[in-house]
Amino acid sequence: MLTKSSSLMRLVGELKKLPGIGERTALRLAFHLLKSPQNLTALSESLCEVRDRVHPCSTCFAITETDPCSICSGNRDSSVICVIENSQDLMALERSNAYNGMYHVLEGAISPLSGIGPADLRIGELLSRVTEGQLKEVVIATNFTVEGEATALYLTKALKSTGVKVSRLAHGIPLGSDIEFVDAATVQWALQGRNEL
Amino acid sequence: MLQEKLQAIVLSSSDYGESDRIATLFTLEHGRIKGFARGARNSRKRFGPALETFARINLQLLRKDGLSSLKQADVITLYSGIRGELSSIAHALYACELVESITPEGHPVPRLYRLLTTYLERLDSGAGNPEDRRMFEINLLNILGYRPLLEKCSRCGADFGERGALIQSGGELACRICAATGFPMPIQALRELRSCLSTGRFGLVRFTADGILPVGRLLDDVIVSHTGRKLKSLDFLRQTSQM
Repeated sequence: MLTKSSSLMRLVGELKKLPGIGERTALRLAFHLLKSPQNLTALSESLCEVRDRVHPCSTCFAITETDPCSICSGNRDSSVICVIENSQDLMALERSNAYNGMYHVLEGAISPLSGIGPADLRIGELLSRVTEGQLKEVVIATNFTVEGEATALYLTKALKSTGVKVSRLAHGIPLGSDIEFVDAATVQWALQGRNEL
Repeated sequence: MLQEKLQAIVLSSSDYGESDRIATLFTLEHGRIKGFARGARNSRKRFGPALETFARINLQLLRKDGLSSLKQADVITLYSGIRGELSSIAHALYACELVESITPEGHPVPRLYRLLTTYLERLDSGAGNPEDRRMFEINLLNILGYRPLLEKCSRCGADFGERGALIQSGGELACRICAATGFPMPIQALRELRSCLSTGRFGLVRFTADGILPVGRLLDDVIVSHTGRKLKSLDFLRQTSQM
């Protein structure tokens, strides 16, 4: 009989802490792992490896195993920095193969209602990089939420005195979508930000 | 259980689980309610950007005690003018947090709904400023019945004109005879505050330079005494006003 303090229940408890995992899913995952001891060993080893080897880059704060990360130490355009909220956003931008500059991960966005202000983000480090380096442009790629917009506007003001060009990712109708199914707010923004051909 | 159609302003929302959201809404029909939007982050069709903070929306929901079930939401406006100006975002978020903190759950306050809508429209058309913020606050307190007595001393009932007014803890105003100490409140500033209550439009009342500080102090004290805490968005509001 399994008790609350048993190792299996501890595993269920730990799995439950992960986003999107409830009690039943955690239990299912735990029993699935039990069925295959090799999987369990591989999982535990990879968890330990991640804990010991993965950390934020000391320059751009993206998740990396080397310091500086491969982007900061690689042969990329160092005159442009793209500012993003987290490392997942970096992966999305890299998937596009459309950007060859550097990055700066803020580790979040300004969220006044959650008590997260500019001092809680890597904004000071960004300003140091901008003032110390030979930068031409800062591309702000924070999310298009109220928090992301607040962060973008705050950065624009904070970077104004440095004289560096500040740009923002474009937003509008997604590729491959029909205008009739796009929400009114997105259509409104797409119209406001239309380009001359 | 019947599906209802409501008008609402999103006061705040947070992610829940893999694809859901929980939103706090200020509705015209039922006041402040909390709603659970299953799959809101996946379903662009049912919600789109409708659960963004301070968005004004048309909403379909199943009303329940505690957490209502949100079925669909259509954006009336996202206030793109607010989203393009930092001080307006800071003031709009503060207004939403204030309404969320100070209103009772499930009680309709249509006058406050209209006041919040008018204030957001004002912020949408220009940058946020302290005078509009104070106008919003005194009218909010008045609608909810929390307004301090501005006409006469709250202790002896004497007219302030003869004796002068001092701000006491908790946002009470007392005359100089009833209270020995306190932050002085100019009589002109009290007149301006009363004018805020009689006009229904933002931008008509102008506070004097030496009046806005004590007015702010009085209203901040009253608000803290009713919310029981300092609002989180105030720090950001202060930071943006200094930029």
